[in-house]
Amino acid sequence: MEQQNFKVKKNMWKEVKRFSSVYALIVIPVIFYIVMKYTPLWNAQIAFRDFKSVRYGIVGSPFVGMKNFSEFFHSYYFWPLIRNTLMYSFGKLLISLPLSIVLAITIYECRHRWLSKTVQTLAYLPHFLSWVIMYGILLALLAPGDGVVNDLIKLAGGKPVDFLTNSTAFPWIVILSDAWKEMGWSAIIFIAALMGIDVSLFEAAMVEGASSWQRVKYITLPSIRPVIVTVLLLKIGTIMEAGFNQIFMLYSPAVYNVGDIIDTWVYRQGLLDGRFGLATAAGLFKGVIGMLLVFTSNYFSKKVTENSLF
Amino acid sequence: MKLNRKALVLATALAAVGSFAFAQGSSESAGSKTTQDAGPVHVTLWYPATQTEVGPLPNDWVGYQIIKDKFNIELEAQTLPSGTQDQDVKIQAAAAADDLPDMFTAGREVWLRLANNGMLADVTDLYARMPNRTQLMFDDGAKKYTTLNGRNYGFATPAAVSRNEGLVIRKDWLDKLGLEVPKTTDDLLKVLHAFTYDDPDGNGKNDTYGYGAFVETNNYEAYPGRRLEPLMGAFGVEGTWNMTKADFGLQINKPEFYDFMVFMKQIIDDGVIDPNWMAYKKDDFRGAWKQGKFGCFREQNSALHSENNYAPFDANFPNGDIIVIDPVTGPSGKASVGPAVRNMRVWCISAKAAEQGKAEKIADLFEWMSYGEGYMLCGFGREGVEYTLDANGNPQSVPGDKGYNGPVGQTYIQLRNMAFNYTSDMELASRYPSYTTKVSGKHMSSLETLHNMQGRKWTDAVGMESMPVPSTDLKTFYEQGLAEFFSGKRELTKDNWNAFVKQFNDMGGKAWEEEGRKYAEANGLLK
Repeated sequence: MEQQNFKVKKNMWKEVKRFSSVYALIVIPVIFYIVMKYTPLWNAQIAFRDFKSVRYGIVGSPFVGMKNFSEFFHSYYFWPLIRNTLMYSFGKLLISLPLSIVLAITIYECRHRWLSKTVQTLAYLPHFLSWVIMYGILLALLAPGDGVVNDLIKLAGGKPVDFLTNSTAFPWIVILSDAWKEMGWSAIIFIAALMGIDVSLFEAAMVEGASSWQRVKYITLPSIRPVIVTVLLLKIGTIMEAGFNQIFMLYSPAVYNVGDIIDTWVYRQGLLDGRFGLATAAGLFKGVIGMLLVFTSNYFSKKVTENSLF
Repeated sequence: MKLNRKALVLATALAAVGSFAFAQGSSESAGSKTTQDAGPVHVTLWYPATQTEVGPLPNDWVGYQIIKDKFNIELEAQTLPSGTQDQDVKIQAAAAADDLPDMFTAGREVWLRLANNGMLADVTDLYARMPNRTQLMFDDGAKKYTTLNGRNYGFATPAAVSRNEGLVIRKDWLDKLGLEVPKTTDDLLKVLHAFTYDDPDGNGKNDTYGYGAFVETNNYEAYPGRRLEPLMGAFGVEGTWNMTKADFGLQINKPEFYDFMVFMKQIIDDGVIDPNWMAYKKDDFRGAWKQGKFGCFREQNSALHSENNYAPFDANFPNGDIIVIDPVTGPSGKASVGPAVRNMRVWCISAKAAEQGKAEKIADLFEWMSYGEGYMLCGFGREGVEYTLDANGNPQSVPGDKGYNGPVGQTYIQLRNMAFNYTSDMELASRYPSYTTKVSGKHMSSLETLHNMQGRKWTDAVGMESMPVPSTDLKTFYEQGLAEFFSGKRELTKDNWNAFVKQFNDMGGKAWEEEGRKYAEANGLLK
């Protein structure tokens, strides 16, 4: 047994040596992950301390056990924060992901090259706009006083809607504006997957008389299923990230009840109030939940679809 | 491959050592350093720009060399973000990482937190090193502002001219509609209705509103904030606190606050306030009045009438006329533009800088900026380049871009806030020069506007700016609750209001009020 292990190890190093230039490429990302992702994990202990500043050291800050977690869990806003965070994360997942897939298939199926290129470019563009710019655009579109959408509503005899400060409309604005901004960019990975499908499958289906919808249903979607599952699992891992930049730009006290998410709360507690221990506890909580969700969804994905990340 | 493995191990080891050092803290290493006598002392400075629209202090600023020659200081100056909240975020993040600059400016909340956490140098003994500045700026009130446990941890200097805002109205709209300047809340309501529904700009469109605002809050002007203070003043509930001995407390706990809420709700329901007010940011609000969207609002003198700010309005409405009016009087005869506080900015020296022996050097530099050569250089630039002296010896901006009022010259006076006291006529005249508008040819002076605003009825609330602040959750509850009454999500009835106020007090509002009472009594802030 020991001899077999040694053989495997020896073969592995032989393999590494043989493809050393390829393996060398991995050094930079590995260093990046060690320095930027794993090393900071040491500082997660701030969540268990009354941390004021690095000046006194993290280890030097008084240990307070679970006090910060307890304060977060007992915060008046804990459940609304969880609810809002999950509402936006799942809302974005349920709306943006299918839209991205539909867009990718539409672009792929389009027979007019100029049209598909134009649509693709126009769909990408909003991704490159910051949420500050997007806020300006949304205000111009949705403002109750003089927004384009409300002008149309008024023209049709309706009553203007204050989309950005109305707690019923606000979640939809957040989810749909995110879909608008990111749909094109998210479609890239699906377009790449579509490019990898064997064209002869489509040709054979056409010879057999399959309609467009049947080709999508029986060839396209099953072919890109592993990519869809991978993207879904990756997104589930960041399910507690509901989009700080977007919410921070769009929300106001009038929609705190549906707009405040864990990240905006953490921002106010940590950077505005200087309560870094509490903010880190909330951040750590988010990370743990995200990790559990990845493992759980990976397990179920493996069981149900036989596709998984690991 | 062997090399790669070694590199990987080395990088991991370095990262681990770095992390360990980070976790252990840096006080020891900082404390062991002392000023080098031989070389210049490197001093980092984070300053709020005098003019945020122009660039930072240029690298060729002659002051750098003068400071080096005079004080052996190698100054590295960096601009802070323009918004005070963004400044606070930057400073707090730097403090957490023990990366504070040697000298910087902070609002009082952040200052207090840093001082409590031992991040700031004790500067009590440095006043004696700055006799001129101390005489000019640091009276007992200013010293008290930065006192903690009997010691001073910063220098409180004037941040802005006091009482520099006012309730303003479109006089040309009043004239067109045959209306008088409103004096009471009833008058104001009538005017706001006319501005909204009687086409005051005569363009045949229903595109104007009576009142305009946006949400701008701070520790002494709680939600809905500064832009609505003249309306709150009509009910005697301006500012976060009532600072009188007879009736001290949080304004939200006063019965009159409900009356204000009812009045405000009427304005909203009648559609006579720009409905975008809760979504506007500062720039949107200012863009809106320049486009003639509303005719009555609270604005700052310079934002209203300085050359660059007034130009778009002048181009859009050459016959437009915005005048300052008295705050309207409420049902019980009360009126106020808002709480008048001391607009103080705290200049801090980091504890780390003091440990490195830089505090005295910084004090000398700060003193130099308060008179003579340093004062003129920081406040007005170079004689013959950015300014000339008139017959009375007062500096005048050189005409054109290079003068201290021009876009190029303005970059050389970015440290003006470290030099000026904003009390003398010379300083005010240089800050608010008069001019003739390009389109309508009107003579304008934001200094005259300032004096006009200062002469209106304000509430003396000095000290309110230093009152305790609530927890984040309590503040959120406060703001969210009021906003929901305004938006109609909660129905504004006496019972609903009382239930909301009770819940607010149960959540910590009462404790906050008591903390405020103790602080105000201990510091002699009650009027």
